Amino acid sequence: MSVEELRSKVQDLIDNMINPAVAGHGGYVELIDVQDNRVYLQMGGGCQGCGAADITLKSGIERLIKEEIPEIHEVLDTTDHASGANPYYTAGKA
Amino acid sequence: MDRLLLLLPTTTYRTEAFIDAARALGVDLVCASEKPNVFEAEAPEHLVTLDFTDPEGAAASVANFHKARPIQAVVGVDDTTAVVAAAIAERLGLEANPVAAASAARNKLEMRRRLHAAHVPAPRFRTISLEGDIDRAARDAEFPCVLKPLTLSASRGVIRADDPAQFVAAVRRIRALLARPDVSVAADAARMLLAEEFVPGREVALEGLLMEGRLHTLALFDKPDPLDGPFFEETIYVTPSRLPADVQARIETVTAQACAALDLTQGPVHAELRVDERGPWVIEVAARSIGGLCSRTLRFGTGMTLEELILRHALRWPIASLQRERRPAGVMMIPIPRAGRLRAVHGQAQAEAVPGIDEVAVTAHLTQELVPLPEGWQYLGFIFARAESADAVERALRTAHAQLSFEIE
Repeated sequence: MSVEELRSKVQDLIDNMINPAVAGHGGYVELIDVQDNRVYLQMGGGCQGCGAADITLKSGIERLIKEEIPEIHEVLDTTDHASGANPYYTAGKA
Repeated sequence: MDRLLLLLPTTTYRTEAFIDAARALGVDLVCASEKPNVFEAEAPEHLVTLDFTDPEGAAASVANFHKARPIQAVVGVDDTTAVVAAAIAERLGLEANPVAAASAARNKLEMRRRLHAAHVPAPRFRTISLEGDIDRAARDAEFPCVLKPLTLSASRGVIRADDPAQFVAAVRRIRALLARPDVSVAADAARMLLAEEFVPGREVALEGLLMEGRLHTLALFDKPDPLDGPFFEETIYVTPSRLPADVQARIETVTAQACAALDLTQGPVHAELRVDERGPWVIEVAARSIGGLCSRTLRFGTGMTLEELILRHALRWPIASLQRERRPAGVMMIPIPRAGRLRAVHGQAQAEAVPGIDEVAVTAHLTQELVPLPEGWQYLGFIFARAESADAVERALRTAHAQLSFEIE
């Protein structure tokens, strides 16, 4: 599968499965790039800076993408979470 | 493939470190939170919701899950989930701390009782009823004393009182804190406080791992900023400790005695002690690892993180080395200077450019409502340093912090 085809399939998943799910928490996900079978994403809205963003990314988004597109080996988060102005959950010390 | 259940509250800083560690180990990871993840319906075999306020109920839910997808290890990442993890492990027949031990470590009153019963050096204490006559309790108190909620973390609600008037004001302030909607306390923790002797002296934190009842010290941190109150905001941690070797040995011995008194036998412990001319005094022993992002200061063996080490132990996988890297390291939890909304952060690049600084992580987000201690429980962020000496680490942290400024409205 070409990089363009991979990118298109990932974008379809984001549009039709991922963003409808995270929209419930005011979040959204943007595809930044697909390179060397790795997907680079950015999270925004309620996902940016959210205390549960890592769980959502690794146990939700990455798992979904890898199941649907086995050619993808890894999903990487390029989000600047510190700049998130409205995270759904805010982390505390413990 | 071994399957690991991580108990990750939605508000913990610890998620990224534990998930990264689980991925590095290649285990089949199941994440449980107290609120449903948006992908739970799509991945019910990897995302579950548990009521962390009901350890037995959570254990029953996981036991059902376990029938179809057996779990080899369960790890909680904070005080609350340490108790839930113990309850789940007991139900599944996994080796872990007894539930009563994890619960005792979670409750400052029960901890004090057990420490005193075992003659472990710890501050004298008494309980204060929030529904009783506070003026009378203040007249009967010894000063200086420290008032503490029974189950809150991160020094939240901990206030020193030097006289009856301060005592009464502190109790009222803590009572108001416990009534806040974002504070969840129940049973005794909602009805009483602990009033304990203030122990002057230096404070240290011991990070350890219990393996079959034996305490292995992973790191001993000095806390060079005085923690004399009225509030007890933690700032700098530096390891290795600069205390004399015999004092460090005594700290380790007393911490091991405290773990035994609580009946803690397995997994991480984070202990806080005061050291005066009489020796070490146990302030707290938590059945969890160090909080916040502070574990980034620690590397073991050939680069293993603290979380990898904890997960390996929980899975009963071999651990090549418990030896921390030789290079001194430290962290500064950036305190919140005043209440208000965070509008801007300045000087981060300058702070990161200070020699010895590894990272400056500002974790508070812009527009976040900042609440300082004793009502608050968060930090603006964390500064990490490594250098040739513990003194140099401390200097780097202070220099970097001085570069930072925060606009708070």
